[in-house]
Amino acid sequence: MADAGVYLEKLSTFSKLLRSEGLSVSPKETEDAARILIALGLDDRELVKTALRTVYAKSREEQLIFDKFFDGFFVSEEVMRKLVEEEMKREAEVRQNMQNDQDELQINGKPMELDDEQREVYAGMDEEERQKLRQFMDKYKDSAQRHPQLYDGFIHSVFMRSILEQQMMAEDAAVGIEESDPEIGLLYRDISKFKDIEIPKAIAIIQSISQQINRELSSKAQKAGRSSALDFRKTIRKGLETGGSFYRLKYKKKRSRRRQLVLLCDVSWSMMQFSEFALRFIQQLNHVSESSRVFLFSEEMHEADAFSLQNMDLFRNYVKECGIYGKGTDLGKALAELNAMNPPALSAATTLLILSDTKTVNQNFAVEALKDAKRKAGRVIWLNPIPERKWRFIRSVQAMASVCPMISCSTLSTLAAACKRLAY
Amino acid sequence: MDLNTLKLKMDQANYIYDDTMATVLAVALQLGRPLLIEGAAGVGKTEIAKVMAAALDRDLVRLQCYEGLDESKALYEWNYQKQLLSIQVNMNTQDKDELTRSLFSDEYLLERPLLQSIRSERPVVLLIDEIDKADEEFEAFLLELLSDMQVSIPEVGTLKAKSVPFVVLTSNRARPLSEALRRRCAYLYIQYPDMEKELAILRAKLPHVDDQLCAQVAVAVQNLRSNEAILKKPSIAETLDWAAALDALGVRELTPDALRQTAGFILKNSEDMDVLEEMGDITQCQCGCGGECENHGGHHHHHGHNCGGHHHG
Repeated sequence: MADAGVYLEKLSTFSKLLRSEGLSVSPKETEDAARILIALGLDDRELVKTALRTVYAKSREEQLIFDKFFDGFFVSEEVMRKLVEEEMKREAEVRQNMQNDQDELQINGKPMELDDEQREVYAGMDEEERQKLRQFMDKYKDSAQRHPQLYDGFIHSVFMRSILEQQMMAEDAAVGIEESDPEIGLLYRDISKFKDIEIPKAIAIIQSISQQINRELSSKAQKAGRSSALDFRKTIRKGLETGGSFYRLKYKKKRSRRRQLVLLCDVSWSMMQFSEFALRFIQQLNHVSESSRVFLFSEEMHEADAFSLQNMDLFRNYVKECGIYGKGTDLGKALAELNAMNPPALSAATTLLILSDTKTVNQNFAVEALKDAKRKAGRVIWLNPIPERKWRFIRSVQAMASVCPMISCSTLSTLAAACKRLAY
Repeated sequence: MDLNTLKLKMDQANYIYDDTMATVLAVALQLGRPLLIEGAAGVGKTEIAKVMAAALDRDLVRLQCYEGLDESKALYEWNYQKQLLSIQVNMNTQDKDELTRSLFSDEYLLERPLLQSIRSERPVVLLIDEIDKADEEFEAFLLELLSDMQVSIPEVGTLKAKSVPFVVLTSNRARPLSEALRRRCAYLYIQYPDMEKELAILRAKLPHVDDQLCAQVAVAVQNLRSNEAILKKPSIAETLDWAAALDALGVRELTPDALRQTAGFILKNSEDMDVLEEMGDITQCQCGCGGECENHGGHHHHHGHNCGGHHHG
């Protein structure tokens, strides 16, 4: 790290980058970072990294994001030189390969007409794939002479497929990347990735958070639940404690009207663990609803009784006995059944809570059924265990999110926040 | 205070730290920002505030958070009994306004830790311990103090800090803290110490305890912490207690018998005790060197390789 000016300029760009990654970076942080760089100097890269991390990252999760971006952004001279060398070497190799490929891919003794992208794809293929392509060309050499255009078109389509496959792999990689840092506490880790050994701990965390939320909600309800009418009897009684002075006035309480909750819970193979935790959470929040009904579904739907939800073993056994364990997901069918129930399960006083990752067969039908359910229920909320940053890659999420509000709750922390929102 | 001076002061306070920790503390001091420290229970979060108080030569004002903590316990409270008495005594006074004014003066104000820390003439270190145990309302209430170093008391007005305290907040991450609070703080995450640091802490805090025993205790504790089945990981304070207890019992080598008899110092529930039974010999280093490295009290072989970050003999 040599020139201070360069890095001070870079700081605002770096702040912008961190902001785009979800860190809450205000101008104050950038100002602090600049102050600290001036004070500490730029000679020791690790020192600068630690100092900036202190300013920018406000949680362990943010620290991990910070580290990743710092290393990529403030590349040390040594690494930069190495990267340039590697890039130059790679380019030389590609150029050499492309030249050789020109000789390999020939039609009727003439080099095949390929654009740069296609040539690069061929250069990137492994030897087995190249051989297959060459064998194919040998085999259909005669037809190439008879129908040169058809043959040419087919070869190009092979290249296009290869390019598309690479794009899809890149997209999958973006969806599939998951931080699995053991240091991140259970509160912030993906629920579906909890190990069996961690489940008792997770349950203990749920209990303590739900107790805390319950207490918070009841104290809020106490404060907010009073009507403007003064309760004379209680005020006078309380006044006796302070010698007849009305030190604190007491008000009559408003009767709270809580909604009925209908839970539609996906218990297909991929959702089982998340649903178990989410159900547990919601059941323990006695301030969320007056009454609740729980429906479990995979390819079929079943209503669960309160007893079967008491603990994890009972829940798992119940799901297995119903015959819905380990199956695929048909959300449309479940929603249609729910809509058609008589007496109706959904009404204007109902909040329908859907716990699902949106992956379902017959997506169009599911979207229509969801719209129907939204018309019938007073409120529909979707709790999605897929982290929000991945939503833009998944079409079914976008389709469902356009119909009803969707809350991401892949971790216990976000699940707790989502459950709290339910109470308001 | 610059980084090197801070390091020197922490050395003088006999505190074992790494470069990251020292840098974070120096940055927080330099920017005058509160420091939020997170980490598992028992990694030494509270200790940092104590050490900073010693290093900066300031008093430590501590506010222990708990559910239901409110302004009257954390910031201030009016001395109601004294106010009522004063009203009774001055009932016949002519100037009622003066009486009202006097009722809300410093004489009737009971300072709680937060107010005490900002009204102190000399700057102090304010430790707000286990903030995750307090309610969200209390967190919101802290924002004014942390960002502007002032508090508002309805009857008096806004009180600005006479001296700016160095604020340390600790959290065990029992619940997520609000973004607003995090934004106002510098952040430090502490993990359990590695083998080398743990041994250094044992040697620094218990210089009279046999070195070989310290090494065995450190290995055993590291093994317990790395076992996922252990629900409550041993803290640094428990490690120190354990080593001191072994020393007091005259134990010179951590044999399975000695371990069984004193396990209550590091493991605090029966499930963990059962896991310990299943673990076998936890005094063996898991580096695959066959129990011959210095750190678990074996023979001193000079084969000079590293094992999991700690040095072999």
